Amino acid sequence: MSESLEPISVALKFGFLAVLYLFLMWIVRSAWKDLRRARDGGAGALIADEPGHLAAPQADATAMHSAADDVLADPIGGGEPRLVVEHAAGHPAGIAYDLSDGVTLGRGDVEIRLEDPFASGRHARIERQGSMLVVEDLGSTNGTFLNEEPLRGIQPLHHGDRIRIGDSEFSYLQD
Amino acid sequence: MSARNRELLGLIPASLLVTAGFAAVFIERGSLSQDQLSEASLTYGAIFLGLCVAAHVFLRIALPHADPYLFPLVAVLACFGLVMIYRIDDTLARQQAQWFVVGLILFAATIVFLRDYRKLEQYRYLIAAGSLVLLCMPRLPLIGAQVNGAYLGIRIPGVMVFQPTEFAKLGIVVFLASYLRDTRQVLVVGARRVLGVTLPPLKHFGPLLVIWGMAMLLLVVIRDLGSSLMFFGAFLALLYVATNRLSFVLIGLVLFGIGGWYLSTTVPHVIDRVDVWMDPLNPQRYQVEGFQIANSLFAQADGGLFGRGFGGALLRTPFDSPLLPAAETDLIYALIVNEVGLVGAVAVLATYLLFVQRGFKIALLARDSFSTLLAAGLSAVFALQVFVIVGGVTNVIPLTGVTLPFISYGGSSILANFVLLALLLLVSDKARRPEERARGALR
Repeated sequence: MSESLEPISVALKFGFLAVLYLFLMWIVRSAWKDLRRARDGGAGALIADEPGHLAAPQADATAMHSAADDVLADPIGGGEPRLVVEHAAGHPAGIAYDLSDGVTLGRGDVEIRLEDPFASGRHARIERQGSMLVVEDLGSTNGTFLNEEPLRGIQPLHHGDRIRIGDSEFSYLQD
Repeated sequence: MSARNRELLGLIPASLLVTAGFAAVFIERGSLSQDQLSEASLTYGAIFLGLCVAAHVFLRIALPHADPYLFPLVAVLACFGLVMIYRIDDTLARQQAQWFVVGLILFAATIVFLRDYRKLEQYRYLIAAGSLVLLCMPRLPLIGAQVNGAYLGIRIPGVMVFQPTEFAKLGIVVFLASYLRDTRQVLVVGARRVLGVTLPPLKHFGPLLVIWGMAMLLLVVIRDLGSSLMFFGAFLALLYVATNRLSFVLIGLVLFGIGGWYLSTTVPHVIDRVDVWMDPLNPQRYQVEGFQIANSLFAQADGGLFGRGFGGALLRTPFDSPLLPAAETDLIYALIVNEVGLVGAVAVLATYLLFVQRGFKIALLARDSFSTLLAAGLSAVFALQVFVIVGGVTNVIPLTGVTLPFISYGGSSILANFVLLALLLLVSDKARRPEERARGALR
């Protein structure tokens, strides 16, 4: 190594480290801002990364842990379990169906009739199983969606869950 | 500042680091005059910046809402890798740079062809079976490659030794995310409390035992504690995210402990590794299997606080035998500590930590369970891989042959980790799209 270049070599090394640390601090700062925002504005504010975007409130029934927890705590809350129409052709929005005896949804001769081209004759069934209510797809052509995820097998229902069949959408409430 | 502009800004330090790193290596070699020096290292920096900017422009078009920090973090890691490997061997560095380009192409292809990554769910059993076959292939005659007693490579003549664990980790995470999305609720619903411990119902305990059995089988088949720990750890992390039951994780850890203990007392190659780990500086072992880990520890101690500078580490003894074996793959972390010292090594670890932090944040933002589980699983497996190799090199756990993601020399590692990055960015873009957020707000 030529002697004249040694100071440059040392300078390069420290320059390298300095740039690296500045870069890392820049990213940490953004993570820190996220945390601060979350503390000030509730968990929902975690979503807002850049200013100007709207922060979603934390009313998400699909949030992974809340779903798992209220199952063990108290399967059916104080109120009666019911299915509320969000929007469905032939059903006024906001009306609620009682679920205590179980219901079938579909286009055919069932408890809740759907005027929906995407619904099958007997599309899905909600019924009581032990202390809780479960929803099951009855082999429909176009599938049932629980919180916008394709329903497979029997799934327990939780307060605030959304069930969608074709263009018809319902909420499950039990408060 | 928009997400994509931040990303572009973040690429500037990465290319500065490449320039500085290469310049320092050139100076240390003393092979170039000052004019050539700045020219050559600036060229390397410019090529690197060009590649990154190309990938950035692609992201700007394809995934405008994806997390802005992941790609610059990866660029910094890759730049560390290139400088270190160049410092070991020019030819290897050229190959690594070629793999980097192929990796970026694969990265773009993943984003284009897996735009709707949720269709991966439909192929989950195929993916799981494929990953297991990949993992077992190194045991096949002719194509299998045994390295230091572990079966981790598949020889593709003339091209490379392919490391199936790198790709299998992605497949297994995809499978587990999709499987647990379906079963997580039944796992919790049927749970009983026995002696204060929540136990999953027996019917659903079965599949979990099967996965544990698979991890144990992998230990026997590929004889590598590190990769097995990586897979099983990712499984436990996903199980915890899916069910929020610490007891499941504890049960899994106990089961893994039992299996690991049994193997570390029966499989000769694992016994050796554990012995070396317990007593790395034993003079009797130093000549044989203790050589690698002992020299790795010496190299790290030699680095001190600020290191010997790029190109300053001694790689070969005066008799021209390698002083730091496998310096470009397994032990590259030891070389980094030697050359940039504790301060630089901490920065590397912080880079990994921030990468994983961004990954978990993506998991938090994702609006459906499969995306959450996928992002959490990918971050967990990435973090565990770093832990397994850095832990091995620093003698926290027995040393095993896993690569340091984005830094180590190796085609399969670079390619697989670019696919991992692509998947994380896909999940992130979907979660942060404004219309998705608005949907969330209405709920």
